[in-house]
Amino acid sequence: MSTEERRIVVLRSSDEEIFEVDIDVASESQTIKHSIEDDDSGRVIPVPNVDGHTLAKVIEYCKKHVETPRSDDRDAQDALRAWDTEYMKIDQNTLFELILAANYLNIKGLLDLTCQTVADMIKGKSPEEIRAMFNIKNDFTPQEEEDIRKENQWAFE
Amino acid sequence: MDSMPSIPAGEESPRDWLELPRDVTLTILMKLGVVETLEHAQFVCKLWYKLCKDPSMWTSIELDNMLDLNTSFSNRHEMALNAVDRSCGGLVSFSTKAFATDHLLMYIADRASGLKCLRFACCEFLSGIPNAVKKLPLLEELELTMCWFTEEEIKAVVLACPLIKTFKLNHQGSRDPDFANDNEAFCIAETMPQLHNLQMIGNGLTNSGLEALLNGCPHLESLDLRSCFHIDLSGDLGNRCVERIKSLRCPHDSTDDYMYVSTDEEAILSYNEFCKFM
Repeated sequence: MSTEERRIVVLRSSDEEIFEVDIDVASESQTIKHSIEDDDSGRVIPVPNVDGHTLAKVIEYCKKHVETPRSDDRDAQDALRAWDTEYMKIDQNTLFELILAANYLNIKGLLDLTCQTVADMIKGKSPEEIRAMFNIKNDFTPQEEEDIRKENQWAFE
Repeated sequence: MDSMPSIPAGEESPRDWLELPRDVTLTILMKLGVVETLEHAQFVCKLWYKLCKDPSMWTSIELDNMLDLNTSFSNRHEMALNAVDRSCGGLVSFSTKAFATDHLLMYIADRASGLKCLRFACCEFLSGIPNAVKKLPLLEELELTMCWFTEEEIKAVVLACPLIKTFKLNHQGSRDPDFANDNEAFCIAETMPQLHNLQMIGNGLTNSGLEALLNGCPHLESLDLRSCFHIDLSGDLGNRCVERIKSLRCPHDSTDDYMYVSTDEEAILSYNEFCKFM
């Protein structure tokens, strides 16, 4: 196996989509990195929990962050942050799948970015607005709501 | 992010956000901060209510925007106490800006004997600090930014917490010759031989004070002397600093990441408002 060949890994999504990815990019995922370390025979690495659409998005993130050299330069940091912001302009379902993928694939930066995005969506909203946004059912009984209101009196004045 | 991402129409059904792994939901909730968690997030549903009581969410408490709240001081105070309760003794780091009372301090001291990191910004008249820190012997990091404590108070704190490796004593800084003063530097040099990291932005120390620090704190690895306008690093002392200190920040280095270069008058004014309460 030549050095050139070693630099690529092949990933297969849950819906059988194939991605050829630079080994450094793929290694942004601790999960995949350990997979490669355990078995570097060059076979296809299955990623059963992540569909092709989401995996493509994950790879896009990893590629950008591997290609961008770490820098103390403020402009460079701002530019990367701006890229992350653009990158996160996705629909809510994709965001959900991306969080699960980042978690399963153990990509700290991506998990942090996606969780921060959700937190930013939640900030400044009332419980009702949060429920509406994420389609969460209010499963408190009226009595329970009364009880927690009493317990957290200071939050309601 | 200010736009609400929309759920695409068609066959795609919305995801069940309550199905996220517990750790992930905790990670998201922890990014909300104390106020948003206690005022809104915990009331969304039973699962989030339960997660918001998980002590792992409360190992680090930051009260940095308490002044923005549209509620009475006593409510904000209750909220702070409640946050400390939720840590169930596991509080590791507490940080506050312009929001602290002796009561809150003792509350923390009584419940968080394992506290490692304590940060105050724009807090003054806290006579209770020396007593509180007697119960926090494991403290490793202490920050007093834009706070005015007497030397006696600083000494008391330092003597009660022999494990402090990181000390931050930051002011606003002034070129006025009357501002030159080595008392704090001498105090630290005498009482904190174990110090590794020292930040003294805007301090009035002169070269005498700096020399005392280099002599008194042989383990110093990082030293932040930004806006210390009464020292002169151009000679031997400066060379000594460069040789000994791994991470040195000089008087005229950028203070972009330090927000108190100009007086944070608003914060101090608001602080005085609640001093009347206590």
